[in-house]
Amino acid sequence: MEEFVYNKVSPEMIEAFQAIVPGKVHVNGDINEDYSHDEMPIYGKAMPEVVIDGTTTEDIAKIVKICYENSVPVIPRGAGTGLTGAAVALHGGVLIDMSKMNKILEYDMENMVVRVEPGVLLNDLAEDARKKGLLYPPDPGEKFATLGGNVATNAGGMRAVKYGCTRDYVRAMTVVLPTGEIVKMGATVSKTSSGYSLLNLMIGSEGTLGIITELTLKVIPAPKETISLIIPFENLEECIGAVPRLFMAHLQPQALEFMEKEIIYASERYLGKSVFPKELEGIDIGAYLLVTFDGEDMDGLEELTEQAAEVVLEAGAIDVLVADTPAKKKDAWAARNTFLEAIEAETKLLDECDVVVPVNRIAEYLTFVKSLEDQYDFQIKSFGHAGDGNLHIYTCANDMDEETFKRQVDDFMKIIYKKAAECGGLISGEHGIGSGKMAYLNDYVGETSMRLMRGIKQVFDPKMILNPGKICYKL
Amino acid sequence: MEILVCIKQVPDDSVEIGYDAALGGPALDGVTPVVNAFDTYALEMATRLKETVGGQVTVVSIGDDSVKNSLKNCLAVGADKAWLIKDDQAAALDPAGVAKTLAKAKADLESDTGQNFDMIFCGRESTDYASAQVGVMLADELHLPCVTNVVAVEQTENGMAIKQETEEGYHRVECGTPCIVTIQKPNYDPRYPTIKSKMAARKKPIGELTPAKDAGSSMEVVKVYGPAKRAAGVKIKTDDPKEAVAQAMAMMTEAKVF
Repeated sequence: MEEFVYNKVSPEMIEAFQAIVPGKVHVNGDINEDYSHDEMPIYGKAMPEVVIDGTTTEDIAKIVKICYENSVPVIPRGAGTGLTGAAVALHGGVLIDMSKMNKILEYDMENMVVRVEPGVLLNDLAEDARKKGLLYPPDPGEKFATLGGNVATNAGGMRAVKYGCTRDYVRAMTVVLPTGEIVKMGATVSKTSSGYSLLNLMIGSEGTLGIITELTLKVIPAPKETISLIIPFENLEECIGAVPRLFMAHLQPQALEFMEKEIIYASERYLGKSVFPKELEGIDIGAYLLVTFDGEDMDGLEELTEQAAEVVLEAGAIDVLVADTPAKKKDAWAARNTFLEAIEAETKLLDECDVVVPVNRIAEYLTFVKSLEDQYDFQIKSFGHAGDGNLHIYTCANDMDEETFKRQVDDFMKIIYKKAAECGGLISGEHGIGSGKMAYLNDYVGETSMRLMRGIKQVFDPKMILNPGKICYKL
Repeated sequence: MEILVCIKQVPDDSVEIGYDAALGGPALDGVTPVVNAFDTYALEMATRLKETVGGQVTVVSIGDDSVKNSLKNCLAVGADKAWLIKDDQAAALDPAGVAKTLAKAKADLESDTGQNFDMIFCGRESTDYASAQVGVMLADELHLPCVTNVVAVEQTENGMAIKQETEEGYHRVECGTPCIVTIQKPNYDPRYPTIKSKMAARKKPIGELTPAKDAGSSMEVVKVYGPAKRAAGVKIKTDDPKEAVAQAMAMMTEAKVF
């Protein structure tokens, strides 16, 4: 592949930026260290030369055009909550902080869509939609990620099992291309057969094809009632084994998460609150399912949860605990939603993978992963979306040097990605590739697919200035 | 041990509740009714005590039929019996009226069953109006000893050993029975109902009691209004600490803080 040479940001460029967005251009000591990494600093930190607060589509287009003309890298960044190093300015250049464009612009209640700027936080849209009786279904664990970031990684989350991923809720977007051109993709319609779907190429492109400056997202009427169940099992095999039985019984949960006891303990230590039972009927609990059902009325929902309880009890659940009050539901999900923070708080060196495997292979896959633990000096902690086979496997170490940790993790990752492929899975369900997982993507998809991806990248970005060193374009 | 737990149904306190100017009160439309959080702690503590020393837990509440759902929820997390003092006008009762109503219910239940309550548990306050008066007023009505802000109870040879939380630390109070305790948040959370306990609770009857005739209300609520909005703060924009302090001092002097 052709080598591209990048220039440094010149004082003249900075002046030009300042003329476009006065007071929004940060350089040198004015740039916070946070901009040098995302939530997985193990993949490398790098400071951008310039950080510019995102303002409008037109301003961003002008800024990007200047970068294009000067062959300077441009990196769009949301809230920096990514897990693959995708928002890190590996080659310096100009980082555009999209989190500053954070307005919810307009609801179109007739077409059930909401128009937002890309820096709106998932949590803020969820809250705002709830007040209007609406639900924005994608529900990634990180609620303080931006919607633009969610689209850029096709984030999935807890409710994907019933409602699908972010991709299923993006109707249209405005994009600034690496050349500075502005393009509108998609429309407020639910069907399209109108040529290649550039919209769908943008979704999951991790800021490598264009900068999303506006989004039109689908919303749905919020289900009136929800009930969550905490279902303890003696071990992980029984826990995961219960999942297909729920589907076979035609029970469709809104969310269906599995978690091992170690991660629950870590989360409860982090929150200072004990919610999940540790022992029941004299049996030590090894793993849990956390399930949510939604519906229009409480009676129907209670009937549904009773059916689900019957299924899981037959499948070996020790008991079924019911969270049917707002406080109980909040407590149960708080533990799940803080897994990453809890692990981070207790771990010096951390890496992760988020493979996705067919639901009926989860148990086999996790048993295999666990069997490798003795070969390495790090600990393995896993949790994930049992309903869609998306597993989050964390390698955690406190007493290893970084070099040994990275070497061992690389060895481990190669083995578990290979196993994921053998099980019919993919290497990332929702976190993306960024820079951290590039080598493994190459191994998995093969040279032909990589060539197609690089070709697409080059069509969008002839000078390869946009977020270089990510997904398919290695620096 | 026979334990009576008094519970109140309140709007869910885990969501933000606004002020409805048109209504002249809190905007409760769409807010889920739940058992007052402090009452859930009271029920959990009473249930743990029952599980240690034996006996049964009875819950009682005042209100219309909608409160039956909250009582059912209590039956699923440790209560053995539940009674509703049927009063569609319960919202108009002041704390003294509530205490009188509960006192009558206790007497009615004791005369019906022939068994007297050894302990009465109340939450220290409700999460809606937070008057924190009902427990002590009920003690006054019943001429019983009362320990407030309780975080642990234990049966001893002579009665109860009670741990009371204070602003400085804890008091250990020894108290004979019958007595009343008002419960503060202990260092554990109320248990989750299980599917089996919920199904069993659904089958249990909820008895109805009549309110006290003279309960009335000696208080009148004149006006309900929202808290005043706080003015935006002033941001001192300087990197020099001395200059920042000087500016802050000047502002406070001008505002006559000193």
